[in-house]
Formats: sequence, C-alpha cells, structure tokens
Amino acid sequence: MFENSLLDETGATAQFAGRFFREGFRPRYEVAEFLHQCYVVGYQSLPMVGITGFIMGMVLTLQSRPTMAQFGAESWIPTMVGLTIIREMGPIITGLIFAGKIGSSIGAELGSMRVTEQIDAMEVSGTNPFKYLVVTRVLATTLMLPVLTILADVIGLYASYLGINLKGVTTLALFVNNIFSSLTFGDVLPAVIKTFFFGFAVGIIGCYKGYHSNKGTEGVGQAANSAVVVSSLLIFVLDLLAVQITGLLGFN
Amino acid sequence: MPQRAASNHVRLGLFVLVGVAILLVTLFLLGRQQNLFSRSLVVQADFRSVSGLLTGNNVRLGGIPVGTVRKIQILNDTTVRVAMNLNRDVQPFVRKNAVATIGTDGLVGNTIINLVASPGPAPAVQAGDVLRTKVPVGIEAILGTLDISNRNLVGITHNLREITGKLNGSTSVWQLLNDEQLPINVRHSLRNVETATAHLDAASRDVLALTRGVRRGKGPAGYLFTDTAFGGRLGHAARQLAGTSDTLAATIGTLKQQLRTEAGPLNTLLVDTAFGRNMRQTMQNVNEGTRGFSQNMEALKHNFLLRGYFRRQQKKQARAALEQGGDSSAAR
Amino acid sequence: MSLTPPIIAPQAAPPAAGPATEVVLAVEHVSKSFGENHVLQDFSLALHKGENVVVLGKSGSGKSVLVKCIIGLLPPDAGTITVLGLDVATLDHEAMDRLRARVGFLFQSNALYDSMTVRENLLFPLRRHWLDHPPTQEDELVTQALEDVGLGHTAAMMPAELSGGMRKRIALARTLILRPDIILYDEPTTGLDPVTAREIDHLIREVQQKYGTTALIISHDMNCVRLTADRVALLVDGRCYAVGTYAELQSRDDPRVHEFFA
Repeated sequence: MFENSLLDETGATAQFAGRFFREGFRPRYEVAEFLHQCYVVGYQSLPMVGITGFIMGMVLTLQSRPTMAQFGAESWIPTMVGLTIIREMGPIITGLIFAGKIGSSIGAELGSMRVTEQIDAMEVSGTNPFKYLVVTRVLATTLMLPVLTILADVIGLYASYLGINLKGVTTLALFVNNIFSSLTFGDVLPAVIKTFFFGFAVGIIGCYKGYHSNKGTEGVGQAANSAVVVSSLLIFVLDLLAVQITGLLGFN
Repeated sequence: MPQRAASNHVRLGLFVLVGVAILLVTLFLLGRQQNLFSRSLVVQADFRSVSGLLTGNNVRLGGIPVGTVRKIQILNDTTVRVAMNLNRDVQPFVRKNAVATIGTDGLVGNTIINLVASPGPAPAVQAGDVLRTKVPVGIEAILGTLDISNRNLVGITHNLREITGKLNGSTSVWQLLNDEQLPINVRHSLRNVETATAHLDAASRDVLALTRGVRRGKGPAGYLFTDTAFGGRLGHAARQLAGTSDTLAATIGTLKQQLRTEAGPLNTLLVDTAFGRNMRQTMQNVNEGTRGFSQNMEALKHNFLLRGYFRRQQKKQARAALEQGGDSSAAR
Repeated sequence: MSLTPPIIAPQAAPPAAGPATEVVLAVEHVSKSFGENHVLQDFSLALHKGENVVVLGKSGSGKSVLVKCIIGLLPPDAGTITVLGLDVATLDHEAMDRLRARVGFLFQSNALYDSMTVRENLLFPLRRHWLDHPPTQEDELVTQALEDVGLGHTAAMMPAELSGGMRKRIALARTLILRPDIILYDEPTTGLDPVTAREIDHLIREVQQKYGTTALIISHDMNCVRLTADRVALLVDGRCYAVGTYAELQSRDDPRVHEFFA
C-alpha cells in the first residue's frame, strides 16, 4: 500500500486480525452472507483445486517410480505418495492455489468496494461492513480450505492409484491398505489443523489488503497482488511453524 | 440482501458434508487401527531393551496385527515395562505362557512386538497379565558375534601362515622325506632280524634234543644234571637270551608301527635335524648288533657240537673239558 | 425503534425556500486534519428543516470530508455535529445506525453494490435498517423509489448494465427508499454530461418538494448550485467563508467569493 515498512504492515495486519476476533464473534451474525461466501470460496474453488490435486498425485507417483524401482521398492510407492500428499503436498499446494484464486479475488473485490465507497455505503446503510464483508470471508476461507484440502487429498490419492496402474497392477483395496497401514493420527490431524491456519491467513490478508486499499483503481490491483504474495509467503511460514510445533508435540 | 439460489446451499452442503465425512471416516479407520475406539485388553511385558519401540507400534500374533503398544515406561535401570492394547477378539488365542519379543518389520521397518505361543497348555491371557519375554537376536548382537569370529579367523590364518612358513624353512623334514636310504635300511634290518630268529629257532631245537638226552639219563647230560652249579649257570644264560630276544621283538614292533602310522613321536622327531642322523646310526647299530648276535649263536652252536664231540672222545678228561665249556658259555 | 413514521406517512412538503423554522443539522466549530493537511478549521453551518444548502468549494477543499464527518464515517478532531437533535460524537453503534436510517447519503461514486441487482441494492439498506421488523411492503417501496427517479423498469438489472446517470438515479432511489429526513449529496453531478446533470438537479428539487427533505449538497458545479440551492455556503481554507442565497453571493464584491461565480 503505502511505503510502509514491513513491521508497520505486520502490525496493522495483526491489529486487523485482532479486530476480526473482537467483532467476529459478537452479534449480529451475517449468516446468509457467510453461507454465500462459503459457496463462492469453497464450492466454486473445487474444480481448480481438484485438477491441481489430480495432477499432483499423478506426477508424484510417476516421478517417484523410477527412483523407487532402483531400490526395488515399488511396493512402497503408495505409502510414500500417500504420506507425502496427506502430510505436506495436499495442504501446501491447495493452500497456494487457494491463495492465488481466493486471496486475489477477495483483495480485488474489497479493494474496489473501498474505492467506489461501497464499504462506506454499507456503513451508512446500517451494516457493519467489517462483519458483513471481512468476518464472513475470513470465516469462509478458514473453514473451507480444510474441506478443499481433504477433497484434494482424496483426488490426488486416486490419481496416484491411477498412476501406479499405468505401469503395473494394484487393486484399490491394496492401495488403500498400504496407505492406511502406515498412516497415523500424527500424520492426519496436524495436516488438517494447519489448513485452518492457511485458510485464515489467506482470508485475513486478502481482506486486510482490500479493506485498506485507497489509491483508486491502481490500489485495487496492488491489493489483489500483494494479497496473493503475502498470503502465499505466510502459508510457507505457517507450514514451517506447523512442522516445528508438531515436532515439539511429538507427532513426527 | 441478495437472494441466493437454494441450489447453491444444497451444493455447499454436499461439498462440506463429503469433505467432513471423508475426514471422519479416515479418523475412524485410523482409530480402529490403533484400537482407540474398540474395547481392548491391556497386557504387559518387561524387557531389558525395547530397541526403539514407540507408542502406537504394532503387536503381532503369528504375524497378524492384534494390537498396539499403549505405553512404555522405565521401571528401573534394566527393565522397561511395555503395556499393550490387544483386541478383545484375540484374547482366546493369547495364552498366559505366550512369549513377547521385540522385532522389526522387515530389515529397516518399524519396531514391533511379536507374541509367540509356547508349547504346553495355559489359560487365556487376562487384563493386566505380565507376559514372559525373550531377549531378541538383535542385529547388533549378531554383528558383535560376527566380530569375534572374524578376529578368531584372523588369528587362525596367522598361525597357519607361520606353520607353513616353518615347514618351508625346515630342511630336516624335507631331507627325511627325500632320504631314499632310510626305507632300504629299515628293510635290511628287518631281514637281519629274520635270520636271527631263524638261528634262535635252530638253537632252541638243539636245546630240545639235549633235554631229550638228559631225560634218557645217559651221556654227558646225565652228568650235567648231577652238577648243580653248572645247571644254575646254564639257566641264567638261557634267561638272559630270552630277555634279549623279547626286547628286540618289542623294539622291532614299535619301529614297524611308527613307520606305518607316522604318528606319535615321529612328528616331534621331524623338526630335529640331529635325530635323522641318529636314527640312521641306530638302524646301523641294530643292523650290526643283530649280525653280531647271529655270529654269536653260530659260535654257541659250534661250541655245543664241539663239546659233544669231546665228551664222546675224551671220557676221562670230562670234568676239565666241561668246566672249560661252561666258562666259555658263561662268558657269552 | 422510533423509525416507523417516515415510511408510512411522508410529511407534507414545506415551502420550498421559506424562512427557517427548525435547525435539523448543526455543524459547530468543526476541525479535521489529515497530518499536516488541515481540511476543516473551525467550520460552522446550520441547516433548517426543508431547505437545500449547497456547500461550494474547490476540489480538494474538504467538502467530502465535511459530509463524512456529519454521517459519522470520519470523526472530527474538534467541534460538535448535531443531527436531528443528536450529537453524533456521543452516539453508540446502534444509535448511530438508527440516526443513519433517517439521514440519506448519496455517494459521489454512487457506491452501488456491483454484485447485486438494482432491486437487491435498494432492498439492502431497507432490510439492514429494519432487520428486526422487516417491512411487509418491500415490493411497493422498491417500485415507488424506482418510479420516483424514473427508472421503474430496471429492478432486475445489474449496476454494470446501467449508464452513469441511471446509476446516480438508482443511488438516489436507494437513499430515498428509507424516506430520510435529511439527504447528504456528495457531488451529485460530477462526472455526468451536462444534460444528465440537469436531470439530476431537477430530481433533487423534486425530492425536496415531494418529501420535504432537508438537503446538504456538496458541489463545485455552478449550474447545480444555481438550480438546487436555497442557500449557498462557501468553503474556503477550511472555513465557512460566506453564506447566502445564490443571488446574494453572486452580487458580492469579495474577490474570494467572486471567483466562484466568474
């Protein structure tokens, strides 16, 4: 936005997030708008996320096969790909796609609403625009990204199953058994929990950038752009944190 | 407030439901795998070392997963107590005398606990039972043993090298092995022994004839029996003769055996250079000795014959002639 | 809720430019700065019931800041603003919302919600303000408001399909649907062609006469000022430099006043 330092931006974003927690859980609740945002943010992102997940699973399988074959460990491909997708690739790839699609659209939408005074108009129309626009969107991204990630995981694993069957034969039952036999709560739960934080990061950054955009149409573009950049970066940082924390908790 | 199509809500609901359902099913399956939800039976086992066993590792009976490790705690510096959750379904198959061992799933896989049934009847295991354990053959232990074996092998080959080196360096062994004279000598002495025994045979036949004459009580033998001093001297000579021939026979027997078996002192003799020479010398001495003995026997025979002649021809000078013959025989 | 009357019984139109009886909006000694930029300095102005007052000033002189302070979008640094007898600075969120239901605001950029149809745009403030008591005659109110601005056929259209003038009218309709006591117009004719601008000016007058609303109009368009103003206030250097009817100010000799009317 401005020529603000990194610390300024971080502080302002944290304050914005604090406002989300202060205002988000007090009435009145914008239920209809929240559901609509869930539909837009979650359901309408499914095709994109699904395609990405499918390709991710397929490519991981095909790429790992030559190396695994060198060690005579082709039977370990389902386990390896399964753990890779569920623990890391699913959440991070889905999160990044989500940041690109949803983070930018939220940044641009709120940014243009800000510059065309729609946010002010809401305020004078007896509506708290923060609740109506920000809280609903942040909640939607926070809750929808985990669902999207789970579906992307499943699609990716199915693609992996297809990839294995391109050069060899595995039954779906054996494939699923292979994955489940090596899977523990320590693999699934941290991976699911961290996607909530990814979703929150995408939502809060997109909303902050858009809500505080104020340089006319140029600011809208900047808002969309920096929303994607910052939220993608934040996803990686959170991922690193998640690895460290789950390690400390002894889940690794 | 914009109106949202109701179908949007249906799609959203479906979307969320599918996602949440997948998560729940996954968690449920994982939970069942780790026996979180089913009723389980807790049994314990004490190990010296659990080799990196972790909470949640599998417990197997006959290779089938029947439970998981629930808790691992250190009882004291040499005992680790492991609590296991076993499925209720397998309770009848796990006996109180089952033995728990720590193993690995494949060469590099997870650490697991194997339950192995022991022979003999026992009641089914109950909650809280402490199972017996067996120290597993760990890879580390195998490697330790292998290390000792290797070190021994090094020592053995070292010794072998020294022996062969010595054998190669020793000339006496090769001399002995290469000496063509030795078997000829041995054969020669054996032939001498043969002639000596032949002479002995002849001598004893003469003695037999003599004793017959004595029994008849006529001639010089009759007299001989009256002379007690001469009889004692003759007995002494005969005894000495028998002892000599016995010793000789034993010596020859030993020598023969040694040659045949190459065992016993011969081995130790191989390294002694001097012995080779002595051996040859000894064989020569034996050779000479037996030859001398043969000559003596010849002479004895002549002596007797001569004396028989004298008796028959010089009856009057019998006592003097007899004394002379007794002296000569005693000198032998 | 004390908000029912405006919908049910529109007040009879008062005389268009009669002598002021009741002060419905008072701005007293208001200052507002953005850093070193002192936009408003000790600005005072009072609006009487039923009159149209135009605040005239150069671009960037702080006219928009003034209306945003009045509606509570910006807090003034100093001074008091009294709207319909209520001190804006002392109001909590709910009271402010109740006040805002009686004060319409026509944004410079219309601020129509892009993602909603015209009908939804109009219903938005209606439903939000009366969330606890949803009005039963939504359709009639929407139709009435659209016909007031002469665009009865556009209810199902999206804002993007409309021309600039039509959007301005829809924005006005969205303001009118609440039957406000006061309407704040922020540069209502800016960015419009002259013909459309005159239509909007006439519309402002019509609204005033039909519903008897008080109006504060921010503008630098002299035609607009001439057509809509009962009184004109000159905003110069953050102060209310001069107040009077269009004719009075036009005839003044003061050069700073004169440059607006040149």
